[in-house]
Amino acid sequence: MTIDWWTLALQAINVLVLLYILSRFLFRPVVAMMAERQAAATRDLDAARAARAAAEAEQAKATAETAVISAARKDRLDAATAEAQAQKDALLATARAEAEALRAAAATDIARARATAAREDADRASRLAVDIAARLLARVPAALQVSAFIDDLAAGVAALPEASRAALVAAEGPLRLKAPRPLTDPEVRACRDQLAAALGRDVTLTLEVEPALIAGLQLDAPHAVVRNTFRADLDRILKELTRHGTRHGT
Amino acid sequence: MQSPLVTEALFHLGPVPITAPVAVTWGILAVLGGGAFVATRRLKLVPGRGQALLETIVATIDAQIRDTMQADPAPYRALIGGIFLFVLTANWVSLIPGLEPPTAHIETDAALALIVFAATIGYGIKARGLVGYLKTFAEPTWVMIPLNVVEQITRTFSLVVRLFGNIMSGVFVIGIILSLAGLLVPIPLMALDLLTGAVQAYIFAVLATVFIGAAVSEGEAPAPRRDSLQKER
Repeated sequence: MTIDWWTLALQAINVLVLLYILSRFLFRPVVAMMAERQAAATRDLDAARAARAAAEAEQAKATAETAVISAARKDRLDAATAEAQAQKDALLATARAEAEALRAAAATDIARARATAAREDADRASRLAVDIAARLLARVPAALQVSAFIDDLAAGVAALPEASRAALVAAEGPLRLKAPRPLTDPEVRACRDQLAAALGRDVTLTLEVEPALIAGLQLDAPHAVVRNTFRADLDRILKELTRHGTRHGT
Repeated sequence: MQSPLVTEALFHLGPVPITAPVAVTWGILAVLGGGAFVATRRLKLVPGRGQALLETIVATIDAQIRDTMQADPAPYRALIGGIFLFVLTANWVSLIPGLEPPTAHIETDAALALIVFAATIGYGIKARGLVGYLKTFAEPTWVMIPLNVVEQITRTFSLVVRLFGNIMSGVFVIGIILSLAGLLVPIPLMALDLLTGAVQAYIFAVLATVFIGAAVSEGEAPAPRRDSLQKER
């Protein structure tokens, strides 16, 4: 067995050349690409971490803003609630006051209406009583309707104030005498006599029939009127009653 | 009868005889170099199947170097990875009819072993300096100097003989069986040769790594590193 030194040398050169070629065209590019990929992955990871950190920061910021907004919302809600409560209380107080005023006004109106109604009732009752009395008095016998009042008529004339009585005495012409029914002659004479005695002069009478007088006599002169009738009495009573009623009502 | 171990020159370039192993090695050089050039022309960040295969090969070589030497594989990647790829390819050349593996001839194995020997010395001197590297021959005592020197030579020689013996014997066995039996009979043995070729390529590369790693790690004082690692743990 012999060793071919030329072959050995050539093979050593071949292997060295191959090692260089593989180093230059295989290992170096592949390793560079792997390193580049690793760098890209690291870069992407760093970017992802940075993005994640930024996102977390944004999230924290958003959370803080949300908290601030929530606090502001709560404050505004509280303020709005307090304001609404105050307005509600004010409205309630106003409404109560208005209701109270309305109630007081209504009570006043009711009391006034009640007083008015009572007065009106009293007036109606007075008129009804006067009407009843008038109807009852209308049942007085015809003989009594005049004769019983002649003396009182004369007394009334005599009781007139001096000036009125002087005017009545000085009056010229007939005196107008009103009666509820036509007078009989005796009654006319009695009336003329009584009046003449009261006035101190002769009297001429003009007779008029006024059924509304019910009973009694009424002497009309130009300056004086002497009433001695149930109607005059009833009117006076009615006036007195309604005047009292008005007082009570007010 | 001529010995099969004798290599006949195919032709001469001036005074230089070109033998079959040299020619086959040129072919391997062309195929590996051209393939590497073509395969790495369009590398992308997102690898395809071919790129993924290349990266897997490189990553595996790196991992093997790192595990064996406990060091950064970058300075040794080209040497160890290139030797592994060349030896593997050369061993599998026997699959092509009419071709013999260059590693079945002792000149090729001797060339590879000489390169490893030189690389071991070179990396050792680079790591420790010339004096420091020479001092390693006197460890643990100066008495060991002759033995260490002999060890350097014999382990290199063992590299040569191991690879040469395995590949050459495979070629011989297949040739003998092919001459005695039929055409398809040697196929199982050829499959065994594939396995043997891969294993021998791996062993050659790993031994080269171990030799270089030993020269370098002695220079890097591995004991304190181990302590520091234990402390870190």
